[in-house]
Amino acid sequence: MSQPLETLRTDILIIGSGGAGLMAALHALQADPDLDVTIAVKGLIGKCGCTRMVQGGYNVALAPGDSVERHFMDTIVGGKWLPRQDLAWKLVDKAVERIHELENELGCFFDRNPDGSLHQKAFAGQSFDRTVHKGDLTGIEIVNRLMEQIWARGVNKLEEHRAIELIPARDGSGIAGVLLVDMRTGQYRYVEAKAVLLASGGGPTMYLYHTPSGDKACDGMAMALRRNLPLRDMEMVQFHPTGLLAGTDTRMTGTVLEEGLRGAGGYLLNGAGERFMSRYHEHGERATRDIVSRSIYAEMRAGNTTPNGGIFIEMAHLGPENVSKKFKGMVERCADCGFDLAGGRVEVVPTAHYMMGGVEFELDCGTGLPGLFAAGEDCGGVHGANRLGGNGVANSTVFGGIAGESMAAYVQTGSAAWREADKTVLEAGISRAEHPFQARGGNLSDLRERLSHCMWDDVGILRTRDGLRAALTALGDFRAELHETGLADGDRAFNMTWHDWMNLESQIDVSAVIATAALGREDSRGAHFREDFPETGSLEETCFTRITQSDAGLALDMVPVDFSIVAPGQSLIEDEAGAPPSAAE
Amino acid sequence: MQDTADREEMLTVEIWRGREDGALQTYRVPRRESQTVLDVVTWVQRNEEPALAYRFACRVGMCGSCAMQVNGKPRWTCRTHVSRVAENGLLRIEPLANLPRIKDLATDMAPFFEKWQGARGRHEPTRTRHEPMAPVSSESPARKAANAGIECINCAVCYAACDVVGWDENYLGPAALNRAWTLANDERDADKAGLLQAVSQGGGCHSCHSHGSCVEHCPVGLNPTAGIAGLKRMTLAALMKGEL
Repeated sequence: MSQPLETLRTDILIIGSGGAGLMAALHALQADPDLDVTIAVKGLIGKCGCTRMVQGGYNVALAPGDSVERHFMDTIVGGKWLPRQDLAWKLVDKAVERIHELENELGCFFDRNPDGSLHQKAFAGQSFDRTVHKGDLTGIEIVNRLMEQIWARGVNKLEEHRAIELIPARDGSGIAGVLLVDMRTGQYRYVEAKAVLLASGGGPTMYLYHTPSGDKACDGMAMALRRNLPLRDMEMVQFHPTGLLAGTDTRMTGTVLEEGLRGAGGYLLNGAGERFMSRYHEHGERATRDIVSRSIYAEMRAGNTTPNGGIFIEMAHLGPENVSKKFKGMVERCADCGFDLAGGRVEVVPTAHYMMGGVEFELDCGTGLPGLFAAGEDCGGVHGANRLGGNGVANSTVFGGIAGESMAAYVQTGSAAWREADKTVLEAGISRAEHPFQARGGNLSDLRERLSHCMWDDVGILRTRDGLRAALTALGDFRAELHETGLADGDRAFNMTWHDWMNLESQIDVSAVIATAALGREDSRGAHFREDFPETGSLEETCFTRITQSDAGLALDMVPVDFSIVAPGQSLIEDEAGAPPSAAE
Repeated sequence: MQDTADREEMLTVEIWRGREDGALQTYRVPRRESQTVLDVVTWVQRNEEPALAYRFACRVGMCGSCAMQVNGKPRWTCRTHVSRVAENGLLRIEPLANLPRIKDLATDMAPFFEKWQGARGRHEPTRTRHEPMAPVSSESPARKAANAGIECINCAVCYAACDVVGWDENYLGPAALNRAWTLANDERDADKAGLLQAVSQGGGCHSCHSHGSCVEHCPVGLNPTAGIAGLKRMTLAALMKGEL
């Protein structure tokens, strides 16, 4: 049986410990060292989530000849004119200060040139070499340095605490706190807070092949949805073309083999061992992520596949020794799993990587619920239809820092207080989490498999109206089936299968939002491709999707994009934005 | 006669169940071609033991969450191929050594991170976000020394492998001291004396007896022993000069 609810109290509660959550905690304490700040996270501080997994780096306009305007134009053009422009501007502008903070104050050890200046590399879809990095493990460097600073400060740590419900105030005036479960013991904890940051990250883990960390399940978006907060751009799910394919029952399947392999001249081969990319695009393997992913998917659908149902990547023609030297990390990773990337062929498959969409938020990271702030991949609007590689970690750290400052300021205002919780929502949250202990039967693994195939086949890289409608029906059935599925072991302490159950609930809820948005967008751009509407249509009339949940179900609005800084056809720079290199070296 | 070619190849897997008190339980797990130890643990959770506790996150050797003892040795399980460690089809999987146990295969890593702080494992800034970045040549010897140790994923495999950690609960351990070594070589750091003070206290670098178990087990190929030797030299030199 579950134990009685415990209640804790803090000024600022942060959900998540990636780039957004950790940066927010630091900035809140810089603004006011007397604040009581608590971080609650599903894994260990700094050791779960996706910022840590960043390989590429951090886009920022620093070098002579580059400019914030150029970075902005690359972001807008790359995002197919869908980004909310003031947010995109905030990203590129604030990234300059943030990278200095990371290097100077937090001690990040970014790669240098022999002359002592920062090294910036080329990355896909950008018109300038602006990606700051630490080898090809930039995320580890950034999160390790943030994590050390957090451990040194008096931040309350609720590790292995899963957030299960955002609790509003009884009088409807704003957020009152968050219901959590201590995963180690199964104890429910309600944390009252004057301000809450949703920074749990996105992560399209509902797809058969996916890159994000195993703890990710879109919990943050699912919780926001239950509070009727609008989500935007949810149809925009970025697929990385080359995820590792290691066969049945392997966790490593879906994880990214880096873009640079294609940029350096790697071949993609179908099951018959033939190169095929030139049939789809003039740039061949070096075409952009979306084009390569679609081409691989088309090849797979035509049945030209490898033994495990993907395609091959082959690097050997570039000289196995060179490949081993240049892509040491990737070659070693493959070798550990029994694959020879340098000299042989490795099976790969496109893999769901990043959600451009998420909760609508403001420049100060505020949301529609007073006292609730959001930052990072939980949010939508910064990237539009496509995120540039290197803009993800910039997004989480830039907006995480802003959120920390905003929350500190908010807590100092008169409108912030510990609000009295809406007990009904609190109790409903606990019953929702308790439900699988009462249910009987069912097969969770089998349900997860079917969800992942449904999303992959019908809400994936190539979409049609019929497929999306079928998926929405199936998702409704999955939800009903989940509620009939129970847990075979009633132990609440560190019960991974209980958390798998709750992960599935979040994933199914957010999958329905993705499918609804994808059905609503009757054009193709960026990450979203409709076979029945393959044209992009008029950029001037660009709308974004906004989905809100109510008792009646999911409601979709198509909202015109406000070209507040630059309109299609205009530019802030002289030459072309978003241009080469098409695949980074 | 049964056709053995049709029979699925199976592993015999012993897994620790319980807290400090517990026992090994035995499971039969189907062998797969590209299977890691983490895949074996996952299979057991999904098919045999639904409440089995274990920790993992990234699945690819970046987060350092999934280390366990595998046939007696500490390893990152997500990148340990079964064929490299199974002995006659047998795997014994236990929680990482030298850390308090939470349940089954999950340990409490807090002492490891507290010691990281004990070694002053964090940057002390000399510049603010409003100043230009320090020029540091990629070719300078100190930069190269720091770079050699910087890519630690704090998986605590070295901490579990170290016999000094096992017998001296105050010993900071290889990972924390390795981090201190990277800071000692970082010209941007503001408080070298404080750093050397922290690492030369009781339980600091002088407790290391250079057995090299950390080097042998580090999954990312770092050499904490060399860094700790560097700290010993650096602290002695500072002592001679009266800086400590």
